[in-house]
Amino acid sequence: MLLRDVEYAKPASLPDALSALAAHDGARALAGGQTLINVMKARAASPDVLVDLNGLEELKGIELAGDGTLTIGAMTTYSELMESAEAKARPILAEVVSTIADVQVRNRGTVGGNVCANDPTNHLPPLMAAVGARFTIAGGSGEREVTAEDFFLGVYLTAVGPGELLTKIAIPAGKHDGFAAITLGVDGTCIANAAASLNGSLRVALGCVDAVPVVLQPASTEEDAVRAAVHAANLDPPSDVHASAEYRTHLAEVLAVRAARQAQENA
Amino acid sequence: MSDHSITVTVNGVEYEREVEARKLLIHFVRDDLDLTGSHIGCDTGNCGACSMIVDGTLVKSCMMLAVQADGATVETVEGLADGDELTPLQQSFSEHHALQCGYCTPGMLISATALLRANPSPSEEEIRKALQGNICRCTGYWNIFEAVKAVAK
Amino acid sequence: MTIAPEKHEVAVPTKQWQGQSVPRKEDKRLTQGQGVYVDDVKRHGMGYLHFVRSPYAHAHITSIDVSAAEKLKGVYGTLTGEEVASLTDPFFQLASPPGAHVKDYALAVGKVRYVGEPIVAVVAETRELARDASELVEVEYEPLEAIVDARVALDDAKPVLHEDSGSNLMWNGLYEWGSWDEAVAEADKIVKIEELHFHRFNSTPLETDGAVVEFNRGVGQWTIFTNNQFPGFAQIMMGPAMRVGLDKLRFVTQDIGGGFGNKITSHPQLTVCCLLARKLNRPINWTEWRTDFHMSMSHGNERWFHDTEIAVKSDGTLLGFKTKALDDAGAYLRYEPLGGVIWAQVTPGMYRWKHISLDFTQVATNKAPCSPNRGYSRMQHLWFTERMIDIVARELELDPVEVRKRNYVRADEMPYTTPNGCVYDSGDYAKMLDVALDLIGWDGIEQRRAEAKERGKLLGVGIGSTLDSGTNNFGQSRMINPELQFSGNNEVATVKLDIFGEIVVTLGTTPQGQGHETTAAQVVADILGCSVDDVHVRSGHDSYWNSHAGFSGTYASQFAVTGLGAVKGATDMLAEQIKRLGSVILGGVPEDQLELAEGSVRIKGNPEAALPFMACGAIINANNAGLPEDLDVTLNCRYVYRPPFEVPDLERKYGNLTLTYATQIHAAVVEVDPETGYYEIVDYAATDDCGVRINPQIVEGQVMGATAQALGAVQHEAYEYDDDGNLLTPNFYDYHVPHALDMPPLETGYIETPSPFTPLGTKGMGEGGGAGIHAVCAALQDATGATVWDSWNPYKRVWEHLNRPRQIVEVVDA
Repeated sequence: MLLRDVEYAKPASLPDALSALAAHDGARALAGGQTLINVMKARAASPDVLVDLNGLEELKGIELAGDGTLTIGAMTTYSELMESAEAKARPILAEVVSTIADVQVRNRGTVGGNVCANDPTNHLPPLMAAVGARFTIAGGSGEREVTAEDFFLGVYLTAVGPGELLTKIAIPAGKHDGFAAITLGVDGTCIANAAASLNGSLRVALGCVDAVPVVLQPASTEEDAVRAAVHAANLDPPSDVHASAEYRTHLAEVLAVRAARQAQENA
Repeated sequence: MSDHSITVTVNGVEYEREVEARKLLIHFVRDDLDLTGSHIGCDTGNCGACSMIVDGTLVKSCMMLAVQADGATVETVEGLADGDELTPLQQSFSEHHALQCGYCTPGMLISATALLRANPSPSEEEIRKALQGNICRCTGYWNIFEAVKAVAK
Repeated sequence: MTIAPEKHEVAVPTKQWQGQSVPRKEDKRLTQGQGVYVDDVKRHGMGYLHFVRSPYAHAHITSIDVSAAEKLKGVYGTLTGEEVASLTDPFFQLASPPGAHVKDYALAVGKVRYVGEPIVAVVAETRELARDASELVEVEYEPLEAIVDARVALDDAKPVLHEDSGSNLMWNGLYEWGSWDEAVAEADKIVKIEELHFHRFNSTPLETDGAVVEFNRGVGQWTIFTNNQFPGFAQIMMGPAMRVGLDKLRFVTQDIGGGFGNKITSHPQLTVCCLLARKLNRPINWTEWRTDFHMSMSHGNERWFHDTEIAVKSDGTLLGFKTKALDDAGAYLRYEPLGGVIWAQVTPGMYRWKHISLDFTQVATNKAPCSPNRGYSRMQHLWFTERMIDIVARELELDPVEVRKRNYVRADEMPYTTPNGCVYDSGDYAKMLDVALDLIGWDGIEQRRAEAKERGKLLGVGIGSTLDSGTNNFGQSRMINPELQFSGNNEVATVKLDIFGEIVVTLGTTPQGQGHETTAAQVVADILGCSVDDVHVRSGHDSYWNSHAGFSGTYASQFAVTGLGAVKGATDMLAEQIKRLGSVILGGVPEDQLELAEGSVRIKGNPEAALPFMACGAIINANNAGLPEDLDVTLNCRYVYRPPFEVPDLERKYGNLTLTYATQIHAAVVEVDPETGYYEIVDYAATDDCGVRINPQIVEGQVMGATAQALGAVQHEAYEYDDDGNLLTPNFYDYHVPHALDMPPLETGYIETPSPFTPLGTKGMGEGGGAGIHAVCAALQDATGATVWDSWNPYKRVWEHLNRPRQIVEVVDA
């Protein structure tokens, strides 16, 4: 509940933020704080310097391009995403984000923070993987764009390296999406979840079962094909107080089918 | 030590203080400003007893650093009533027995206040969603929904 | 022997304040954030305390080095177990041997026995520094094997937690009434249940434990601002341990953010605060963290029921049961082993069976110490009872409603003496069940089941009937240990009329949201014939008010009986004194011609001849020359309510253990998703009977709160441990309590059967007896067809019910 001593900086521009992060090995970006502050309270991690991103207008905003690509600034809060007219182009986003925790968390927590935390029980990593999101990372040597597959690397680990920042997420046009979860109480932590997107072919991403979202490409949209893809993935999820590995594997299969069904039904 | 000079306006009063960067906003308000109406019920940002409105936005003040509130306008439970006169919302809480031990109540009132500002005529489902971040162990919430409904337009 | 208490004539209430949902006096300050909870109290120069806690479930402590911590700038000092062992004696143990030999100190001495056990206390200038410094304390351990399953705690190969007691057996007792052989002889069938389990959880009051402690060197006296809800018990524990008289421990509480029994056993931490306040000569602030609370404070009793046998006739008549109860007390006995007898207040549940055998064993394990949790020890037994009822009904293919009605104690049998001599004061269970069934739409259930099936869901409905026994006879503690010198119960109130006619009430209780200030004012106002607004009830508790006795506190569903009984007694005394004074001042009018009304004492039929209370107060306090010498009037009346109890017969384990029995009957409808085990409570009904309701809204609030807690417990809340004794649910992420969106639709109903044994016809209520747990377990059994054997039914377990149901029930011919 009580943090270790830390230094704090609130840069006014993206270049300043990147410099601040590069200048200290123990520097961490502070986005919405809905994960990092908890981590620091538990003293599970104690950065030396917090670089507060809440003053960076460059990381805000949602744009809808002519070709239907939706670009979301990394510092967009969940609430802003829910209120955004542009984001209605991809309804699954607001639908899923509105089930994250509660109003207070949604007012501060950010889309960028959620994906960069890459907690296996988070909602957005599998969702972004399913819709084929692309992630723009800025660093000292410029900008690069990576796919979801290259972005999510391990538990709490993404392609954003020291001295770098996720600046925006680009989601291609599409509307046939689904998401299914079993949560600990309504709007609680996910015990198992699955996202699906139908864009020509079907893509299903499973959360909660591995360090990173497990992406499946079933042979068809048929339920049997989805189940076969889940089996072929040879899942070996963790056991915890909410689910054994066996139960979690079973849930993943059921939720994959439901997410895929929802994707097909969503026109 | 990393001391910062911050200026925060709480319930209309401006405070200038020196704080460590690591101090949480809730501790600043309770310990440094002696405004003990907002409470702490957990250490993982789940319970909402610390809820405040910062620059018009409902937040859990245990999930923000005090330095992040530099220059901000903060509203806590102490700022709701006008002197000795309870607001209709506070009155309604009492009439509907929407509080027992009172520990979650300041956070509930702040969350309900934020809701009613944004949505003066919420449905029960909207009320529940708006209070989802505030844990109560005494009432079971049903009376709280009634209390908020009663002041909805 | 049993003495049924003498009956009081209780008139049907037609009074002005009693029975009204008077708005609470507490609300004005609480809605403004002006409550004073313990962490709101500030003292100049206060030091903040942080505990270094054990990371091991079971280990020897081989060394402790606080030197680095003490060197940190801003650290005021530390306290170790070694110091505690030299400054204090171990806390008194309620148990008889072997539990009696457990040495329980305020900090771990030589050994740690559960993860989270406090080992060292560090005090510093700021909260953050105290935590920083605690990381500099070096402790070395020699880990030992941890016991996390009570079922193996007595195995020879397992380590012993408390070497001084030599065994992990803390207490054992055999309770037998009637004759099991007779039951078997009369029975048609014996239903056998191999194993049932009531899980470990508690009520997680939103405010955690805490204290601000000051030491007055000159008079050697501590002032303990705290939220402990049973100061009488804390004093009895702390005084002897600290080698000081109880008057040196002044307890002050004002507002408490929920208790539910979980704030009874903070005396070890309070002792640490006292020792440090004295050692460092400065006030100490201790605020327990949520994680600390989960890891170390007051887990509810976890209990196994093994080898249960139920003797029953084919028509569903219940004759008797026998079982082996195994209670997992955790690492220390703080209020235990009282749980070993408290359950006996409700031995037969709500049923008329006569032949009962229960072998109760309590063991120590490397988990947090258990102490009272809402429904303390009775809830566990009542859950077990309801499980038996539902399993029997299913095995004999009988309607669970019919089985209940056939076996419920009947209204015309009240007051009813149970096989072990407890007296159920009043109640009409069958009628309440009908109310609950009506509210839940029982008649339409099969149609709903069919409709749910079409949506792919399994619907289930269940009943949970339970008792809330209130006002303990502490003489039952002697069944645990015949040497204990406790019996009866008490509560105190002082009501005075001050110099300007102010009516001031001082209670001995420690309310945590039950509205004592309000209900006490209602009782006083009715007797004195004034408005509730004229009655000022002091908030909270203060030992220095001297308005308390050994059992003072707020626990065990008793305020409406003991607290209000004391208030009534004190007010009746005051009313009588006012009349005696009035008689003199009004020219010798006989007292029976006087009445109290509109804030005065006046002659009946001649309201002009009145002496206002203000005048009475002024005369006695400041203007008493010329009063008759023998006029014994102080207008400061202290009354100790004492319920009519005898010490139970220890040999037969027979006697009246509680004065009142409130009832709750709930019904739940669930819908289960057969593919995942996920389920929702789609409808819920709660009925209650607590006798005369002084403030109906407050009563209903308690029923709703107990319901919500029960629903949280049965669906989500559990203190689960891994094999090494690490708590897997130390925070609100994993220990999910109900939030706003989790609440089902709720219908409530009630009846009022006054208690014939209490001054006002009230019954204590508030704990609730866990009816929601019983009802949802029954509903899940109905939905899945599996035997629900555990009180904790998260989705993963419901999936087990659907796919791998435990086969633990057998029916044989008698």
